[in-house]
Amino acid sequence: MDFLNAIVALTNYVVIPAMSYGSQLALGALGVTLVYGILRFSNFAHGDTMAFGAMVTILVTWLMQSVGINLGPLPTALLALPFGILGCVALVLVTDRLVYRFYREQKAKPVILVIVSMGVMFIMNGLVRFIIGPDDQRFSDGARFIISARDFKSMTGLNEGLAIKTSQGLTVVTAVVVVAVLFWFLNRTRTGKSMRAYSDNEDLALLSGINPERVVVYTWLIVAALATVAGVLYGLDKSFKPFTYFQLLLPIFASAIVGGLGSPLGAIAGGFIIAFSEVTITYAWKKVAVYLLPERFEPDGLVQLLSTDYKLAVSFVILLIVLLFRPTGIFRGKAL
Amino acid sequence: MSGNPYQDDRGNKDRSIANPRGSGTAEGARRKGKAVAAPGGPFLIGDSMTGGYGKGPNILHDCTIAVDQGEIAVIVGPNGAGKSTAMKAVFGMLDVRQGHVRLDGEDITTLSPQDRVSKGMGFVPQTSNIFTSMTVQENLEMGAFIRTDDFSDTMAQVYDLFPILKDKRNQPAGELSGGQRQQVAVGRALMTRPKVLMLDEPTAGVSPIVMDELFDRIIEVARTGIPILMVEQNARQALEIADKGYVLVQGRNAFSGTGKDLLADPEVRKSFLGG
Repeated sequence: MDFLNAIVALTNYVVIPAMSYGSQLALGALGVTLVYGILRFSNFAHGDTMAFGAMVTILVTWLMQSVGINLGPLPTALLALPFGILGCVALVLVTDRLVYRFYREQKAKPVILVIVSMGVMFIMNGLVRFIIGPDDQRFSDGARFIISARDFKSMTGLNEGLAIKTSQGLTVVTAVVVVAVLFWFLNRTRTGKSMRAYSDNEDLALLSGINPERVVVYTWLIVAALATVAGVLYGLDKSFKPFTYFQLLLPIFASAIVGGLGSPLGAIAGGFIIAFSEVTITYAWKKVAVYLLPERFEPDGLVQLLSTDYKLAVSFVILLIVLLFRPTGIFRGKAL
Repeated sequence: MSGNPYQDDRGNKDRSIANPRGSGTAEGARRKGKAVAAPGGPFLIGDSMTGGYGKGPNILHDCTIAVDQGEIAVIVGPNGAGKSTAMKAVFGMLDVRQGHVRLDGEDITTLSPQDRVSKGMGFVPQTSNIFTSMTVQENLEMGAFIRTDDFSDTMAQVYDLFPILKDKRNQPAGELSGGQRQQVAVGRALMTRPKVLMLDEPTAGVSPIVMDELFDRIIEVARTGIPILMVEQNARQALEIADKGYVLVQGRNAFSGTGKDLLADPEVRKSFLGG
């Protein structure tokens, strides 16, 4: 019984939160990795692109809530998501037209584009704060739990409860669907293959009659959609605050680099590695330890390796270790 | 590089933020010109072309290369003579400042490279001429990108021409040997069913046996009626199969004539063919 309780506690406090956080990071890292692979620079504006997409979704959600449209047990934000994606697509396409295209025409070196993306980041950051404000916003509605801790306890008779939030279930399911569609698109469709070809060899893609500008537009479309989905899921799971999204940049980049920049598979693996490391290192293990260890070994402290305030440091350290020992990442990135 | 500050990365080698792999150098992808009717003349001709890369100096000076229906034309010349540049100029990958490019009775000087593909030109560059991370089959599919009809018969023809590719069709092209890579490269260009095929040193970096084999295949392609414009290092061997030959020196036409004439020309022999 103690052993079961320990497993349930571990699932409740570590596995489930890390799964949903990992899915959010994976979706974010996929966007970063696509820009890196196809447009050939690290897009520092990605966190704020997520924030913008999420913001549009939130505004539409509020509008829907005010006129009484809802999805029953599911959050209304799901209905608003397509509008958020459209808004985000418009933003990135306008940005590309006004900013990035100039540098492409100059055949600017990627590192210049990285700096440019930082400028774009600050503008988007300001835009989001200007429209929705710097504060926390809540927009989740519908049923809060798929299984609540109390139901689980009465169902199983265990001491420990297992709660699965709707947003967590939704996150994992959406992530699986989105990733499956993305992989199908990149590997099976003509457009997806042309994007891989462009990523592999820009000149030869041109010689095959692939229009580079069209590939760029498709890439931004997909990146905007991924960013919005990731942003909305994160906002539903936690809450929406522009600054948090800016901070998400570090774990997202850590995920993409750990998995291997340019490799979609790597982005997903990296997302889960970062998420599980962050959660396990900042989790207070006392509860699990009490269930598993004999009474006389019962720990006095919380058995927490690192305070949750330092969770960003975890991604940073993993990033450093990977860059030192396997700079191309687990999946040997650089190719789509 | 040509003094453009945007192209100065100040020695950055950090691959975690910048991805230089596979980035393009071709210019003119955004060219929006239209083809203008210009009847007469050879099937494909780069007529007295003058031009260079970006805002840099001219590399080609009044250079003319042409190929006619059913012919093999070969461009030879010393290193740095502008042979590859002349090919790229004909394909629109750099700006031709003076002169014209005409294909099949149309002036295509202002067309972008991808539009020239639709017009029926196929080009195999000298280096990076395959998609290394994609399978052989995907390489061929990308070659047929502009085609909306069923291209399985063309793919079968390519596999007939290069049987080894059929065995390796699900293997990433980057894992193949040098000769096989060149076969993939030529096969990719053939997938559009081009009206004219341009090859930039198809035998570079392959062993002599493979080279002979590749030459045979190229002749085989030419026999199907596709005119071939080719740059070649092995001047003697190439001129032997050429209907027309051009010797370029420092971006200018030094000699031109039929392959046999050039092989017989004592001056050409002394300077380029080693006596």
